[in-house]
Amino acid sequence: MRNWNKGSMVGAVVATAIVSTVIAVTVTRTAGQSPETRPARTVDDKPNFSGIWQANNEAHWDLEAHAARAGAVMQEGVYPYDFAKVPAAPVLALGAAAGVPGSIGVVEGDGRIPYTPEAAAIKQENGENWIDRDPELKCYLPGIPRAMYMPYPFQIVQSTNKIHMAYAFSSTARTIHLDEVAGPPDYTYMGHSVGRWEGDTLVVDVTDFNGKNWFDRAGNFHSEALRLEERFTPISPDAIQYEVTIEDPNVFTRPWRISMPIYRRLESNMQLLEYRCMEFAEEFLYGHLRKEPLVTRWEGETIIVDITRKIPQGDALYDWYRK
Amino acid sequence: MHNQKLRKLGAVALMAVVVGAMTYVSQTSTSKLEAAQTEQSNALLTPWGEPDLQGIWSVELLVPLERPNGVTTEFYTEEQVAELDRERANGSVFGNHVRAERGSEADVAGAYNAVFTSQRPTGRRTGMVIDPPDGKVPPLTPEARARQTELFEYQAALLQNTVVCRDGLDGCIGGTYGPRSPLRDQQPPYYSTRNINRANGPEDRSLGERCMSGNLPNFRGGFTGIHYRIVQSPGAVTIFYDVGQGQGFNRVIPITDAPHLPAHVRQWWGDSRGRWEGDTLVVDVTNFSGKTEFRGARENLRLIERWRRTGPETLEVVSTLEDSTVWTRPWTVVQDFAKQPEAPNRIYYEPRCHEGNYGLPGLLIGSRAEDEAFAEGRGRDPGTRCIAGCASPEGRDPLALR
Repeated sequence: MRNWNKGSMVGAVVATAIVSTVIAVTVTRTAGQSPETRPARTVDDKPNFSGIWQANNEAHWDLEAHAARAGAVMQEGVYPYDFAKVPAAPVLALGAAAGVPGSIGVVEGDGRIPYTPEAAAIKQENGENWIDRDPELKCYLPGIPRAMYMPYPFQIVQSTNKIHMAYAFSSTARTIHLDEVAGPPDYTYMGHSVGRWEGDTLVVDVTDFNGKNWFDRAGNFHSEALRLEERFTPISPDAIQYEVTIEDPNVFTRPWRISMPIYRRLESNMQLLEYRCMEFAEEFLYGHLRKEPLVTRWEGETIIVDITRKIPQGDALYDWYRK
Repeated sequence: MHNQKLRKLGAVALMAVVVGAMTYVSQTSTSKLEAAQTEQSNALLTPWGEPDLQGIWSVELLVPLERPNGVTTEFYTEEQVAELDRERANGSVFGNHVRAERGSEADVAGAYNAVFTSQRPTGRRTGMVIDPPDGKVPPLTPEARARQTELFEYQAALLQNTVVCRDGLDGCIGGTYGPRSPLRDQQPPYYSTRNINRANGPEDRSLGERCMSGNLPNFRGGFTGIHYRIVQSPGAVTIFYDVGQGQGFNRVIPITDAPHLPAHVRQWWGDSRGRWEGDTLVVDVTNFSGKTEFRGARENLRLIERWRRTGPETLEVVSTLEDSTVWTRPWTVVQDFAKQPEAPNRIYYEPRCHEGNYGLPGLLIGSRAEDEAFAEGRGRDPGTRCIAGCASPEGRDPLALR
């Protein structure tokens, strides 16, 4: 009996040593998305936003509430009604995969973006000329706030004086400065972000835009006078309420707001992968300038897609890149 | 029976308490140990107790990749550095002392002059390569040499009918003058990341012209400079590489012992896995894509980096490169970075080479115009012109890392 007790105690101590070593190693070495190793607050007692996040809505298609529609670009169907439009040629071959899903919208208030009459006309044109004008299709830097709700994950690396956001889309990034720094020497695609904490809300002022970006794939746009105030408020350790007040007196009659949750990617092995679309977009951007056309035709069972490129003359060639 | 069960329960309970205590003790022991080790450099720890690599970093001193021929030491003396500075200041940098014949092609070629390029002071290190001990990149394997020769011969063939080769200029890359090569109508033997003397499409041009030259490893810092912004949080280190004239990119290094991506998932910047070893961030990078290229190494490249804050104003990055299909042995390179002040925020986050790439379409449309003119008998054969960067009359800084 006594021998058994001694044996079991020795066994227990040995087992303890092994287990505690395992625990210690696990705690110090594994850091990632799992709740046990991801504290809800940082050492400086702020909500912990570090990790990989992604919006999960239809804002990247169109910020405003909208019913589903047949395609990002459409043409008149057999009836003259808007709701009877059909997908246009650029998206037809993708069938239902190229439709635009419906959305409850992310614009607060009456849900409409308050354009001036002139700007509203431009927005309309943008939507109709999506193929030629949307900077996303060229893999251009997406700007803020668009990068925050594109259908690609992004990683927040939250330090005490800087909060860095690394976007999978085109490996672009921005640093939110919590300390005092000089602004950029020129207007930018991604803006200049200066942040501060108001309680548990991260408030970020973004300025110095070059006005070359859109908000979504529907042609909603702004000028270089754009100014944003973003607010990041934790809903839970795995969700952030993201709100943006948008001001641009050149384009809108008043400031307006969008609001949406952003969700943590909870996969235990989640990591940001590359989306180096610069290369993917080369045929789109330069295909018309090849010596021999490359992408010209696709033939399926019921659809043949013939692609003819055209070269705008003179300086108009470069408008394709400016728009 | 009852007593035995109680004893077992007691043993289990005791074990739980001891585990808890030992975990607490080992954690605090670890933190105490770390604190003791870095007590004299508390300013170099993040608030959560990791070595602090954060800030804007730049390479301020010129160190060539390889130790120059005839140099046998790892470091220059102060006198040698001063002498080199004098020589380099008086020498040619990007053609400021070089003039091609007026009205010649070479006269108008060349994009960079001495006003544009930064001329950094000479560093004490004689070369970035610290292993092998002779400071040179190890020899190529026979298969790597054969591949390089294959592409070189293709490039030379596309140059042989040019005026550059006719006139025996440097840009002829040691080739000979000859008639138009039939290789002009073929693709290179494999995916080329460099210019060939042709512009049938974007793939004929270098990664730099396509705005995709920002790659790993990044030992450049030649005339365009090299700036990193590092931000850390527990579990991640993010580095923005401001490199290559607006060809920058962002890289996130997860601190994890999770395995690498599956072998069939390949990326331009590979797949990074970081871990702390004392004061050093050790990063293992694998899964490189075959589209990327570093001195011949492509998808078989393995990079092991060691990032260490060596002082309040200094960061050292030691990189070991392994690719047994390319080099006969691994080799190791050290880069010394200097901390830049935060307030001026002098780092360029807008890698907008792509957004402003008028050069590539300009080159392509120009080539189409030349093709058309030649076909109509109005112009010379485009194959007689060099558009592979060979016509510029640049001098060469003997130490410059290009």
